Amino acid sequence: MSADLSVRNYSPIAQRAADSLLRSLGGFSVSLQIPAVSASGDAAEIGITTQTYQQLPLSPAIFRKLRIPLSEGVPEKYELMISASAIQAQVGDLQLASADALFAQAAGVSVNGKFFLIEAVAAPEAFGKAYLYRLQLREAIPQEI
Amino acid sequence: MQNAKDTFYVTLRTRLATLNPNRTMLLRGVQRPGILVEEAEAVVPMLPADVFVLRWTGLSADVSLPLVLARMECEILYTTGGTQPASGLDRGRAVEEMDAEILNLLRPNCAPKMNYTQTPPAQMNTPVFWSAADFTPVVTTRDRLSRSARVTVFAYQEPGEL
Repeated sequence: MSADLSVRNYSPIAQRAADSLLRSLGGFSVSLQIPAVSASGDAAEIGITTQTYQQLPLSPAIFRKLRIPLSEGVPEKYELMISASAIQAQVGDLQLASADALFAQAAGVSVNGKFFLIEAVAAPEAFGKAYLYRLQLREAIPQEI
Repeated sequence: MQNAKDTFYVTLRTRLATLNPNRTMLLRGVQRPGILVEEAEAVVPMLPADVFVLRWTGLSADVSLPLVLARMECEILYTTGGTQPASGLDRGRAVEEMDAEILNLLRPNCAPKMNYTQTPPAQMNTPVFWSAADFTPVVTTRDRLSRSARVTVFAYQEPGEL
């Protein structure tokens, strides 16, 4: 994670610039999948109770494939850049402590109806605040039996 | 066999809550003891740190007995990077603490088999019992130490049981 540690008053200019860039480069909407109801108890922990999820729309975002060497059987990886203002709005709505808490709860991300798992999250900062969230995603493929 | 797997997990979870109440995790919006069944949770790219993950692997059955004796292999995986206040320099101590917890969680090595598909859970007629833990060597991946303990869980298949 990169950080700007210079002593200056906070200005949302970096966040606005990032939002503008995300919109101008495509700026479409993705959905973060988080548990709708917190199921607790034995049945929920051993897979008897079905977990329901809700889709949190996040926009503007950019989605692209990572250029990594391809090898047989290894799922492809993708990068998703999401506006920090969209994340902060959801963190506020859900009354969570931080964006980390939001991503920790998430089961994955839905992009154009396709489901991806979150592998890593990074948040570049300016004036001590994140102006963008970069998520490394992996295709959710059925596990081998 | 599912009842035996469920009983084994719930027994270990209940014992962990008593043994180390501080080993908890927030999973799917619920604070609970730091132990989970891998196949009953969402797929994750990396195992969560400082919790026990139960992975069911092998299965065999002895059909020569009056009741079929199922023998299931369970791998209990755990990984730790130590604590933040200690900058991870206590990761060796953290993995040793988890080793000791595993040994204590598995004692005594039996529990009455329960059927958790009913509410309230119903006790069945036979017990579930298991072997001592067989620990694998520690694997170091960057700042994390990982180990697994293999346990063989035995249970009789009662008439009408799935």
